[in-house]
Amino acid sequence: MAVETIQRDDVYVLNYCAKLLARDDRSPRHNFGQFSDDALTARIAEPWRFPIVDSYSDGVNFEQSYRYNAVTFVYFAQGSALPGAVGVIGTFGNLYDPVPLRRIAETPYYTMTVVVPKGEVHQYKYVVDGEIRLDEVNPQRVILENGQPWSRFFTHLCCIPLTFERWELGILNRLTSHILPFETEDGRNFLERFYNTADRQTKDTQYAHAYRLDQPVGVVNFIDKLLAKEESHRVIDYRTCLELIDRVLRRRNPVTEPSQMPKEMYRQLYEEMAQDRVDGWDYGRYGSPRFFLQLLRRHTFTGAFCHPKYGGNVGAAGWAYLEERYRDANGQTLFQWRRIMERPLGSSMEYHG
Amino acid sequence: MSNDQGRRQFDAVIIGSGAGGAPIAHTLARAGKTVVVLEKGPLLKPQYQDDRRLSDFKRDELFATGPEKRIQLDNVANRGASFYSSHIEPDLNDEPHIYRERDGSDRVTIEGYTAQVVGGGTQLYGGVSLRFTPLDFRLQSFNEGRRDLGKDPKGDVQREARDWPINYEEIEPYYGKAEELVGINGTRANQSKPFSADKYQPPLAPNPISRFVELGMDALGMPRYRTPLAVITQDHPPSGRKASADPKTAFVNRYGDPLGLKSNTWVSLLTPISGLPNFELRANCVVTHLEHSGSRITKVHCRNAAGLSQTVEGKVVIVACSAIESVRLLKLSGQLNGGFERRINPNDLLGKYFLTHCFGGAEAFMPGRYDKSMTLDSDWATDFCASEQYLKANGLWAGAAIYNNTSDQALPISLARTHGSQDLDNIWRAFVDDTSLTGDRLVQFLDGNFGTRLSVSFMANQVPLKTNRIELHPTVKDKWGRPVAYIIKEWHSHDMHLMDTLANQCAEILRRAGAQGEPDYGGVHQAENAFARIANHILGGARFGRDRNDSVLDANCRAWDFDNLYVTDGAFMPTSGGANPTLTIQANAFRVADLLLGSV
Repeated sequence: MAVETIQRDDVYVLNYCAKLLARDDRSPRHNFGQFSDDALTARIAEPWRFPIVDSYSDGVNFEQSYRYNAVTFVYFAQGSALPGAVGVIGTFGNLYDPVPLRRIAETPYYTMTVVVPKGEVHQYKYVVDGEIRLDEVNPQRVILENGQPWSRFFTHLCCIPLTFERWELGILNRLTSHILPFETEDGRNFLERFYNTADRQTKDTQYAHAYRLDQPVGVVNFIDKLLAKEESHRVIDYRTCLELIDRVLRRRNPVTEPSQMPKEMYRQLYEEMAQDRVDGWDYGRYGSPRFFLQLLRRHTFTGAFCHPKYGGNVGAAGWAYLEERYRDANGQTLFQWRRIMERPLGSSMEYHG
Repeated sequence: MSNDQGRRQFDAVIIGSGAGGAPIAHTLARAGKTVVVLEKGPLLKPQYQDDRRLSDFKRDELFATGPEKRIQLDNVANRGASFYSSHIEPDLNDEPHIYRERDGSDRVTIEGYTAQVVGGGTQLYGGVSLRFTPLDFRLQSFNEGRRDLGKDPKGDVQREARDWPINYEEIEPYYGKAEELVGINGTRANQSKPFSADKYQPPLAPNPISRFVELGMDALGMPRYRTPLAVITQDHPPSGRKASADPKTAFVNRYGDPLGLKSNTWVSLLTPISGLPNFELRANCVVTHLEHSGSRITKVHCRNAAGLSQTVEGKVVIVACSAIESVRLLKLSGQLNGGFERRINPNDLLGKYFLTHCFGGAEAFMPGRYDKSMTLDSDWATDFCASEQYLKANGLWAGAAIYNNTSDQALPISLARTHGSQDLDNIWRAFVDDTSLTGDRLVQFLDGNFGTRLSVSFMANQVPLKTNRIELHPTVKDKWGRPVAYIIKEWHSHDMHLMDTLANQCAEILRRAGAQGEPDYGGVHQAENAFARIANHILGGARFGRDRNDSVLDANCRAWDFDNLYVTDGAFMPTSGGANPTLTIQANAFRVADLLLGSV
């Protein structure tokens, strides 16, 4: 597979390295519980930013470019002896043919930028003077079927589940739906219209993989990606609480799968969690169901109305809901998000995303 | 690793690329002087400066308020608390600001940072670019002998108020220069400040919701003018920027502008000199301390993007990395060298008289619904509450600008995360706590709040107090092992009186404009973490003056006992002014730059 690489200038890469990597302090001051204290990821800030997944443009055709991300790898050489050659192998290219990284002069940073389609997940490793190594900076790991760990990244608009099992997705779908406006009659009607009338291009660019989602506006997918990357320290909260919720619901209704249980059961569960008093909850394992609910509320609202590149607000359905709902006496919308957002998501001729 | 750092000697070394540093770099580099600007933050460019026409700033709500991180530092009361910083704010575990809470505990805060990026705070600000009034420069004289000041039983105001060592007339030409070179739109008529020239670009049509502000201000007889904003509305020849057909977007306050229409100091003042051979910008370069020999700063020590130590030398050294960090840098240099400490702090005033603003305002539901996503940060302002007559009628020591905000809560995530709170430390809290907002109730929340609320703010002088101060924290260190800044401040009883008066005045504008129900209003002293609240207007701590026993800097912003050390960010201010400070910092920096032209 041919790999398209592009040049990013040194400053672009150093803009991340100076703030996040460079330091004297070696204490684990960035470990929120998800890392071991001796890991490099515990000592650096926002390790999830690596590799850097950013907008791509060829500088000419912005709509065509929208299908791709520019992914910038940064290898951070530890210790005083610097390697001679650093490359990267990965599923975005040829697994047996390392793409070379160049050293940024006078720094321990090696870098290379590759163009990768949106909506994808890839595994990669560095090849350092012939030795194959995981990326110590990026906390994302995946264990392949042969038991081998690889470093992982995913691009924007990714809809492939990375964090949750199917049963977890099912329960989360129900809980987030209870919070959002899309289970109201107006909300349901809106979504039906919205997704049925989206044109072919919108479907291709905005939710090419959305058939994998059986959830309104992709909020669960947003949370799945957020926990895989920016807020991986919250995986433990979700894992624990979804298991406890599953247990509570099965105890209340032993015959139906939790994801299929009636709305009323979720309403009642939600109310009990809000009161921090859930009948049957294992408080020894997780002290406050209300705390989890608060976390879920922040993630749910953010996922419904964030930029769609994060995997929620699929096709900008959340924004379109506000656009349609709020209109003046002449029928003109009072939320003109399209005019300020990049094409093809929006209609701005000036902003390129 | 070798450490070939390039050129070491310059006419001027400028620490910080924001409002206090960039005007000096611009002036000196244009005059042919060799200049290096050292900036801790990254260089993020607008689209028009990029080959691929992409910017590192995005119209993305998660750029302004990022994912959750947690405070991990030992010995702070809010260890474990969540924070959600912007992509160009510092990481609070790497470089926290710590303030002392009412109960004596130490807490980490995100307040008080401007932004760490080339352009500094001017990248994220709303762009409100008001002049101070002539009265703001002579508050000591104005208050002498007054017996009508409210809630000042010990006469603190008269004891602590200071006249600036320069008056309005001296800085006025530099206001005009800043307005022209930075690129500001607004109107001059009805401002209570004398103008020798009108350099404003024309303002855009106001957001429709702002007509209520017109109604309210007119009903109260408040002369109003279009709020001066650092956003270009026409081509701007001094910086080579082109106007946009569609510049209005609520991605303005707390967002960098991908189009470069917001007149941050990178696009307005540094870009025009960036091609000169005698100018160098070093982004991602943090200054750790200054070294001196006798009365001269001989070396500026810094760490480059890879963390390697470097030094540069300048005939003059200008410290302008935002008041808290500038004071910290001087104190760190003093901590490393007793001789430096004796020269920079002979009278124990360095870090003292730290100031922010008395700020607050009112907010109400207005009839109808408006598209607040098509807006700049503010439309109308008035100087009504800055007149001597108003101050005497209300027993106030100093005046305020009042203006409306239009971009607040204009976007859906910001609407939710600021629900019940506009405070960066408490963001999201009310929305996540209000568990009743689900389904139909969430729809009702959106129906009630989306495009329906209007706020009016005041920005006023805070009484200077010696006990309000910046110190080095005794135990907490940054990622380079250096003590972090420790903020100790409180509100004076007169500040509270002033804020209560002005908040009610803002509410009255909304009442007269036909607000639905009684407005919410108040001053920041009522906030839950009132001691932390800074409005990101960080001022004082190295005030200038005519008396070396009463100030840190002389009237030219030079440290009294150093021949070549200047401080030109907001730290120089002896009083905080009745308006947002950025334009005054820029104007003063242009003034100091002209003085330096004769000496380097």
